[in-house]
Amino acid sequence: MMILNDEQRMLRDTIADFLAKESPVDALRALRDQEPELAWEPSLWSGLCELGAPAVASSEAEGGLGFGQVGMGALILETGRTLCASPLLSSAIHAQAVIRHCGSPAQIERRLPGLLSGDTVASVAIQEGSQFRPAPRGTRRNGNTLSGDKSLVMDAGAADYLLVSALDEAAQFCIAVVHLNTPGLTIQSQRLMDGRQYGSVSLEIVEVEEWLEGEAVEQGFTRALDEATIMLCCEMLGASRELLDRTVAYLQEREQFDVKVGTFQALQHRLATAYCELELAAASVFNALLAMDKGETVLSEHASRAKALVGDILQHLSNEAVQMHGGMGVTDEMDIGLFLKRSRTCNQLFGNSAFHRNRFATLRGF
Amino acid sequence: MSDMDSFRLETRAWLEAHCPVSQRQPIVREEQIWAGSRSTFPSEDARQWFEAMRDRGWTAPTWPTELGGGGLSSEEARILEQEMARLQCRPPLYDMGLWMLGPALLTYGTPGQKALHIPRIVRGEVRWAQGYSDPGAGSDLASLSTRAIDQGDHFVVSGTKIWTTRADVADWIFCLVRTDPDASKREGISFLLIDMASEGVSTRPIPLISGESEFCQTFFDEVQVPRDNLVGELNGGWEVAKELLKHERKLMATMEVITEKVDVGLVDLAKSRLELSDAGEIADGDLRSRIATHLMHADALHHLNETIYRGMKAGQLDPALPLTLKYIGTTEQQRKDELMLEILGTDGLAMTGTDSVEQERMVRNWAYNKAHTIAGGTSEIQLNIIARRGLGLPE
Repeated sequence: MMILNDEQRMLRDTIADFLAKESPVDALRALRDQEPELAWEPSLWSGLCELGAPAVASSEAEGGLGFGQVGMGALILETGRTLCASPLLSSAIHAQAVIRHCGSPAQIERRLPGLLSGDTVASVAIQEGSQFRPAPRGTRRNGNTLSGDKSLVMDAGAADYLLVSALDEAAQFCIAVVHLNTPGLTIQSQRLMDGRQYGSVSLEIVEVEEWLEGEAVEQGFTRALDEATIMLCCEMLGASRELLDRTVAYLQEREQFDVKVGTFQALQHRLATAYCELELAAASVFNALLAMDKGETVLSEHASRAKALVGDILQHLSNEAVQMHGGMGVTDEMDIGLFLKRSRTCNQLFGNSAFHRNRFATLRGF
Repeated sequence: MSDMDSFRLETRAWLEAHCPVSQRQPIVREEQIWAGSRSTFPSEDARQWFEAMRDRGWTAPTWPTELGGGGLSSEEARILEQEMARLQCRPPLYDMGLWMLGPALLTYGTPGQKALHIPRIVRGEVRWAQGYSDPGAGSDLASLSTRAIDQGDHFVVSGTKIWTTRADVADWIFCLVRTDPDASKREGISFLLIDMASEGVSTRPIPLISGESEFCQTFFDEVQVPRDNLVGELNGGWEVAKELLKHERKLMATMEVITEKVDVGLVDLAKSRLELSDAGEIADGDLRSRIATHLMHADALHHLNETIYRGMKAGQLDPALPLTLKYIGTTEQQRKDELMLEILGTDGLAMTGTDSVEQERMVRNWAYNKAHTIAGGTSEIQLNIIARRGLGLPE
């Protein structure tokens, strides 16, 4: 659980009410079955922007609402409970953080307001190939152009611009700002199993609008990635909690052999241990949010611990939820399957548990 | 500066001045300061540290000052805890009376009982043992048959208690006894305080798989116990017992703090014993990954404790949350012990006769800590409680 102050609690309740009306799990079903394909429902995104959702964490000095990262975490957690599909994670969290931590003051001033209001949507392109590795290898700068291939770029086809990590001629890390309609840029959009849209981005000598560059950029990029990872963990916590609640509710009602299924100790103990692991993971995520609000800039250990723990419990709980719903659990009629599929994409995004365990061990020096 | 900030600074300065350097390192079992008439101090520094804390009432920081305690608020006590942790101060006193009986007595004891027993607990003059389980009772604690026959101004107690920790050196024992054999299981039980020096009390140590014999069986052969030693109502002992078990559960969750802390981190041990890659990483990827998982869990348990504290302070604690601590804490401790043993390889198979005290201690602890998921409510009982009371699954 997260401990919130009064303002943060009001924010959470407002968002929960909004999502219950505007973005219940059925909204994801509708989006999934829609033709032509949309990355998100425009009316839902404009509703979230009217509430100020993209600016929740940002300080008042920056033009934001000043609820802090704990406030944003609480909001994102709610979106995980209803599988809300929106560019909050790709743009309002990740792209914002990249601009904030890697941009020059002029770039920040130019680009941040659009991302804060939600009028502009950007997405960050990191991954190359089917395994997550944060360091760019094949994406190369040449003069003012960029070439390479990026995969699993969230909402890429519907964004205004992409922030693409790359190596320059001297193999130094840099970030390219690339507009979507630039010649040489092709995006193959694909709806993945979670019903949401991801792009495979191909860049062939693409003219770059501007670069985020300099000594601090690589460190800033890592910080932004760690922040986005921690926020993704909040969404995953929401999904885990929802899976647990729905499964408990089902076991309280479902009868077999003339008793409630929930009276069986074998099932009780499985859910009780899952609950313990969920709360452990949640405590680590909450701690990470507090660290961000305290102004800690090196968040890698926090992010890797949180992602590994949350990834493990979400994967486990999603499997347990399907199993405990019995035959109904494998039908598309139940929502459980949607959570199962979202859990698998969340686990891959920004690196799976194995990746983060390995990273954590390296950070701890063993 | 807020009151709490100045309390923190004062406390810090006081600890710096009064905690000898030798008492600022992780505790090992042989150097714990146990209460009681038969206890001895492992060193002069240990005595000095204990006496300084005792005289401030900080052996029991939150107990009322008029009974010898420190009179601190829970917030102040937490600051004291944090400052002690910062300096790595050793716990000044170990005693079941301090951890379990005291808090229950403050709630259920008569003024006379409090005045007699509480100050002696704070000062560490009396070592208490716990007489709860009858042999064979197991997790079903209320199925006990040790009898106390009401004789007006005293009771006559006959029967036997098992798992009485160090009853052989204890001064007093708090016991659950059956005072009404005809009432239902939980209703005929009373809570008695018994002087171990009473005629008819004897003990027998139980050898354990760790090679130690911390637990005893205690026998009562028509022992006379004054009526003043009854805590709570006659036949109302179950209520007192439950209060006390709450404290035990809390204690077991933080067992690592209370028991011996092996001053070798898992990582240091692994790096000194295992093959490393050129990058200095543990070459065995499987073991490395499991060590990482344990460290993450250990960190997260710390974060969970913090969350619970914050939640309590903010008045928005999910009551299910604290129920998880005993299960998680003891399970994780055992995971760590298993990793230690695995890292030691075949060296870890020797319990005695090696030239490393440290290593033998680790192996002993591995065996000893098997009791943690059993004592104070087994893991299975904890999971029942979490499932039913925490998650609301049907009985």
